[in-house]
Amino acid sequence: MAELGIGIGWRQELDLSIARLPGVDWVEVVAENLHASHLPETLVALRSRGMPVLPHAVSLSLGSAEPLDTARVEHLAEITRALDAPLASDHVCFVRAGGLDSGHLMPLPRTREALDVLVANVRLAMSIIGTEFALENIAALLEWPDAELTEEQFLTELTERTGCLLIIDVANLYANARNIGTDPVAFLDGIPWERLAYVHMAGGVERGGVYHDTHAHPVLPEVLDLLTELRRRTDPPGVLLERDDDYPPDSELAAELASLRAAVTL
Amino acid sequence: MSLAADQAALLRALLADGPAPSGFSADRLRIEADVLRRKHSRLIAYLRPDLEESLGDRFFPLFAEFTAATPKTSDVRAREYADSFATWLISRGDLPRPRRRLFRRGP
Repeated sequence: MAELGIGIGWRQELDLSIARLPGVDWVEVVAENLHASHLPETLVALRSRGMPVLPHAVSLSLGSAEPLDTARVEHLAEITRALDAPLASDHVCFVRAGGLDSGHLMPLPRTREALDVLVANVRLAMSIIGTEFALENIAALLEWPDAELTEEQFLTELTERTGCLLIIDVANLYANARNIGTDPVAFLDGIPWERLAYVHMAGGVERGGVYHDTHAHPVLPEVLDLLTELRRRTDPPGVLLERDDDYPPDSELAAELASLRAAVTL
Repeated sequence: MSLAADQAALLRALLADGPAPSGFSADRLRIEADVLRRKHSRLIAYLRPDLEESLGDRFFPLFAEFTAATPKTSDVRAREYADSFATWLISRGDLPRPRRRLFRRGP
């Protein structure tokens, strides 16, 4: 495996664990949680050891059919510079509309109209950020009516029209297969792997017949199997574990990281 | 309807008890609304741990009631919103009126 290797989502609650965990090659940080002028000391320490720290945004709302909030993009650009990161990212989603803020990543209709809006916003965001930029597939509980494209067609066209890269979240792919009937094999067959920035992995849980992408449970074996399936198609530059709550002991995190490494090491 | 209107209608349905937009599963709209409220409540509990400490099990149902009636708008910061939840709780008598300062500010 080249370039990034195995990483973990940096969270304040995990900062001491990350410093001592074996097998962490890089980290990703939620850009909205940082201020460029006072980065957390533990993060600065990782950077000074030469560890890549890549910013990941959650609030740009690039799929909103309203003018892009460029102040949020400027903040991401500032964090990207402060971390000397070669790549920044957000999601294929919208967050805000009609003056309301969902506080979450909402799915887009897979229509030409929505793709045009997303492409325009991504182009503008990329012109502000000035580094490589990647977009991630989200986990959806809802499906918009009247889809004109499959998710893999939507993502492929997005990369072709903007030059962006992709973060493929395998747990989100699993969630969509379970919850909205995405065909995971067709998805993996349709992704332009040369545009892959890295892969996300996370845990979740089933409640009431719906799979919830909680980032608070262990990674399911079925999700690891999908990572193996992905590895048959490409050697991902990086694989990142996201854990956002119910933090387990370091030994469990280390074991999960090792299982990700095993899944992508042939 | 335009995409902007469709997106706004979906968020109104999920966050502000608006009418269900056509073409969506009613069951999934209900589940998604619950997911959004629970996620939001965790952020509020993180920003104002005193509220969850005081309310215990009543924290989430009260927050769900508050946020459905007064959903968070894009121009309100998360901490302001948490503080307005506290004000609402006090106004209803669900929390005692503070003796001195209304809000504790974090660092």
